[in-house]
Amino acid sequence: MQAFISAIEYDLPEGLLTNDMLAAEFPGWSVEKIEEKIGVGIRRIAAKDECASDMGVRAAEKLFASGACSCENIDYLLFCTQSPDYFLPTTACLMQDRLGLPKSCGALDFNLGCSGYIYGLGLAKGLIETGQANNVLLITAETYSKHIHPGDKSVRTLFGDAAAVTLIQGMSEAEQKMGPFVYGTDGSGGKNLIVPTGGFRTPRTVESAQVVEDEQGNFRSQDNLFMNGSEIFTFTLRTIPKSVKELLTLSGKSLDDIDLFVFHQANKFMLEHLRKKLNVPEEKFFMSFQNYGNTVSSTIPIALSDAQREGKLKPGALVMLVGFGVGFSWGATLLYWV
Amino acid sequence: MTKQEFLRELEEVLEADASSINGDETLAELGSWDSLAVMTFIAMVDEKFGVTLAASKLADAKSVGDLIALLEDKISG
Repeated sequence: MQAFISAIEYDLPEGLLTNDMLAAEFPGWSVEKIEEKIGVGIRRIAAKDECASDMGVRAAEKLFASGACSCENIDYLLFCTQSPDYFLPTTACLMQDRLGLPKSCGALDFNLGCSGYIYGLGLAKGLIETGQANNVLLITAETYSKHIHPGDKSVRTLFGDAAAVTLIQGMSEAEQKMGPFVYGTDGSGGKNLIVPTGGFRTPRTVESAQVVEDEQGNFRSQDNLFMNGSEIFTFTLRTIPKSVKELLTLSGKSLDDIDLFVFHQANKFMLEHLRKKLNVPEEKFFMSFQNYGNTVSSTIPIALSDAQREGKLKPGALVMLVGFGVGFSWGATLLYWV
Repeated sequence: MTKQEFLRELEEVLEADASSINGDETLAELGSWDSLAVMTFIAMVDEKFGVTLAASKLADAKSVGDLIALLEDKISG
């Protein structure tokens, strides 16, 4: 039995954050420079009462409506988020009920960010190829906008909210459709992309909610998302080229064998630098952040879906996926597009 | 790379006028040394020197001289 991706759908919230809107809020912030460097034109922002799970449910409903699979046939739900509905119960359990998935269905949340899609595919492959499940729904959904202070232009510029759903099924074939996998973790980088309070390590207090201005003129409190961009960038430079090489060695493939590279869509600056460093031709390196921003764990499935719609992903294509970010956590795999 | 070549690269990173940086400036004086410039500098050093600078060391740099010191064995003259 070989696990493969049989369908992808995604959902975006209606709220918009354009560069003109950011410029109006932050006079002196060079919109042209940011757009040229970061490559993001529009971010989609969840409404106040709209949760990551709401977008995830809508994405899954689209997938069922497309006829890719019936909800009665789903036997495992994996939900990747860092924006759960509650500490408990598990958001995936609530989504099982909302989606009308069978009660015989397994469901779990896992907390990862920009590497989460690769880990989700790895878990789904394990479930399918060991006979534990036949039709796995992998939902990635995030509302980082809710963690971000409105006065923090550095991260507001980068991140957008979104959800994606990927259906992973099994086929009786000898040749692998997904894998091998390369994983990596370096928790010493945890402090560089963090919401410092709100868990049990540092509960929220009146003091933690106090807003302070940093050297760059960004405002945030300890209750908000903090990102050290240069630490994230150097982590990426140190780990990702090495992981790509490891994956190629493990699979016995060369860079030229890969038809399409779909990396976590962090931003244009970072991806362009990685592309050049790895010597990947532009036409094989898919980018899709212009209209969404960095949607964390959903960037890769959204990019795959867009690439397919744009005719850049044909059946039989060999695709390299690489995810990296908060943790630090990273992962890479190969797909034969079916 | 010579010091003069490094200064020209730094001007490009900062989108400053050609030959406007002489190496004696503090980073605060340069004005445009913001988080994007830091990332662009890291990318330039990675590309031209094959070195991934430690972001924490870069954060401690206060002057152009400190930047040169980070790459001391790779910059001549």
